[in-house]
Amino acid sequence: MRNDPSVIDLVERARDGDATAWDALVDRYAPLVWAICRRYGLNGADAEDVAASVWLRLVERLGTIREPAALPGWLATTVRHECLAQLRTRRRHLLVGDEAGLDTVDEPAFEELLVTQERHVAVRAAFENLPEHCRRLLSLLFGDPPTPYTEISSSTGTPVGAIGPTRRRCLDKLRSDPALVTVAGAERT
Amino acid sequence: MNDQELIAAIAAARREAAEVPERIREIGRAAFAWRTVDAELAALATEAPAGARAEPAAVRALTFAARDLTIEVEITDDALHGQVVPPRAGEIELRDRTGVVAVARVDEVGWFVLGPVPRGMFRLHLRAGDAVVVTEWITI
Repeated sequence: MRNDPSVIDLVERARDGDATAWDALVDRYAPLVWAICRRYGLNGADAEDVAASVWLRLVERLGTIREPAALPGWLATTVRHECLAQLRTRRRHLLVGDEAGLDTVDEPAFEELLVTQERHVAVRAAFENLPEHCRRLLSLLFGDPPTPYTEISSSTGTPVGAIGPTRRRCLDKLRSDPALVTVAGAERT
Repeated sequence: MNDQELIAAIAAARREAAEVPERIREIGRAAFAWRTVDAELAALATEAPAGARAEPAAVRALTFAARDLTIEVEITDDALHGQVVPPRAGEIELRDRTGVVAVARVDEVGWFVLGPVPRGMFRLHLRAGDAVVVTEWITI
């Protein structure tokens, strides 16, 4: 995976003390943190403890992150580690290293989760970069079943015949976003 | 991904982001205040069970390495027993997420004792001569 320029930029700005850049990093990766907590069956206060540990570690790592592309992998591993620590705390009698049966997510499953999360992070970042009319149009198409074109037309003021081409242009714009071109599988098929 | 798959991926990604409790983000934003800019970070170099697995006193040894010194810590039931190597006198603080929870003197041979053993995350903050070193966060 190549480096997403926007991540490099956010990490560098946060490192220099820019709280807005840090907030953007938190926003971007909070779903990854949460998804892994959920996978380990942690929520509520347990998940908050995990998140606190992970964010604090990330803050102190800002100065030493050389390859922002490695950030999601590092985060995922750290969250997993903290989830296991949390589970261990619940079972006080278990000592470090004695984790048989504790890690219920095997390597392939974890790897798959990470790939999905990286793709979702990139998709969200690219989506946020789209012009407003694209975001609105695509949002209407998310529904299951999707909103009929006639309804989309009346709520966006786009002629029915223009919706298909507009949708295609918006999706192509999304695909060409630097955040998304770094992600495997996002290219047009 | 074809167009349909891409739309489905956007929908899934955005739904997932919407499901994250706001507390998880709040905690993240607040963590930025803990950024240390004036201290050198000592990374956890080793983590080994130092004793037999005798219950209940499971002793653990941790070594944090900074550029010019290491902080070695043994964790027992009631305290953190540590040494700064090479030895130098100073002051060491035990900090958790709420701030400083204990302070101890580091003597001339580098020894210190901090207690009680913190539950949850903590880090050590050492001032010795002109060295200011903070360990990475750990949970025991």
